[in-house]
Amino acid sequence: MTAAKGHGRIIGGLGSPHAPSIAVANNTGKAETPAWKPLFDGYKPMADWLEREKPDLIILVSNDHANTFFFDKYPTFALGVAAEHAIADEGWGKWPFPPVPGHSRFAWQLAHSLVDREFDIAVCQEMPLDHGCLTPLSCVFPPEKRWTVPVVPIIVNVIQPPLPSAMRCFKLGRAIREVVEEYDQDLRVVMFGTGGLTHQLNGERYGFTNPDWDRELLDLMEKDPERLARMTHQELMERGGAEGVEIIMWLVMRGALSPKVRCVHRNYYLPMVTGFAQVIYEDLGGETKAKRAPAREAALAG
Amino acid sequence: MSKKARALDTSGPAAAPTDTPYKDEVLPIKSRQIDYAHPLWGTYPTTGARAQRGYRLSKFCMSFMSPANREAFKADHERYMSDWGLSDYEKGLIRRQDWNGMLRYGVNTFMLLKLSATLGVGQNRTGAAMRGQSYEEFMATRNVKEAS
Repeated sequence: MTAAKGHGRIIGGLGSPHAPSIAVANNTGKAETPAWKPLFDGYKPMADWLEREKPDLIILVSNDHANTFFFDKYPTFALGVAAEHAIADEGWGKWPFPPVPGHSRFAWQLAHSLVDREFDIAVCQEMPLDHGCLTPLSCVFPPEKRWTVPVVPIIVNVIQPPLPSAMRCFKLGRAIREVVEEYDQDLRVVMFGTGGLTHQLNGERYGFTNPDWDRELLDLMEKDPERLARMTHQELMERGGAEGVEIIMWLVMRGALSPKVRCVHRNYYLPMVTGFAQVIYEDLGGETKAKRAPAREAALAG
Repeated sequence: MSKKARALDTSGPAAAPTDTPYKDEVLPIKSRQIDYAHPLWGTYPTTGARAQRGYRLSKFCMSFMSPANREAFKADHERYMSDWGLSDYEKGLIRRQDWNGMLRYGVNTFMLLKLSATLGVGQNRTGAAMRGQSYEEFMATRNVKEAS
């Protein structure tokens, strides 16, 4: 190995829902209406934070909603390496956004380094983005800023079991941190976890919500994510609805951050069928793999 | 598991399907993550035999990603369904807009959304029907119905 010219660093993590109704409300000028303002007010600190921190890259963790992939082939984890990500037509016309810039150099390195670490992710040169990625991005970047930060999307299967375990997602985040820290160029990276908290969109249980669990979940996400990561999908679905399991994508974000984080923003709103939560966690540095205590490694392995 | 979270989850069980040409078996899958022997009421994970049974109908729903296919379906539902070789039972599910029937049959939630959008039925209308409520009854259970 030659001496590194620079290195990457994770500066923080964002969390956001990704319901398409949010992007539609934003696109149709409803952000300031009484019904939507409590949510959109929660995006202002995130937009300001990004403007102030000026990251070089966002690693966005979301899921496909059967727009890029179909059940003929469905990857558990997928990574977009393209220089530019196209916009999907989900069945009601393309979203009115320009293509999103990627970061191929970092993305290919991430692909290699993740597979080296036994995270066998599917590498995708064409992976159109759907509302799972576009809702959160369009809410933290106003129209004149679309798009000013390159995005590397990581797509997690949360729609057709078998889904990756919550712990696997958390460990994927930790592996991403190692890869970022080993990167040979200066790169300030923001992790962006997406997905609703409680919601269920199928069956007689449609519309199930559980704000008490959502609050507990947000506390755990910040202060004790490993406890969340040890929960089964069954437990997450019982408490948070079938689609509430998608908080495993927030765990990828959280796993990539320092064990302790500074939560500088937290907002919650439950207007309809989904618990909407937004957070900003600032990374407190420290603990790379070399420094990590063996006891902690053993606990995570068990 | 908090008692409160559990208590919120006891409004089931779902009614058993009738008039179906298949038995909606407990999925014979062992998983560390989901207890398929004790399914969560009113919830239909599409995996295993159920996913395979619903595959053709899912593929049919997926076709609506193309604007031309959406227009062809809107112009003539019956012809489009026949062109896709759907069975009579599958056609009946669509004619009746039997969303729970489609889920039990093996059509994924996000496939249903492509079909319902093409039919011009909003997601919360499908949800109300899944719950066995009118749209108005369902919306009355929500905190801020204008945010939809």
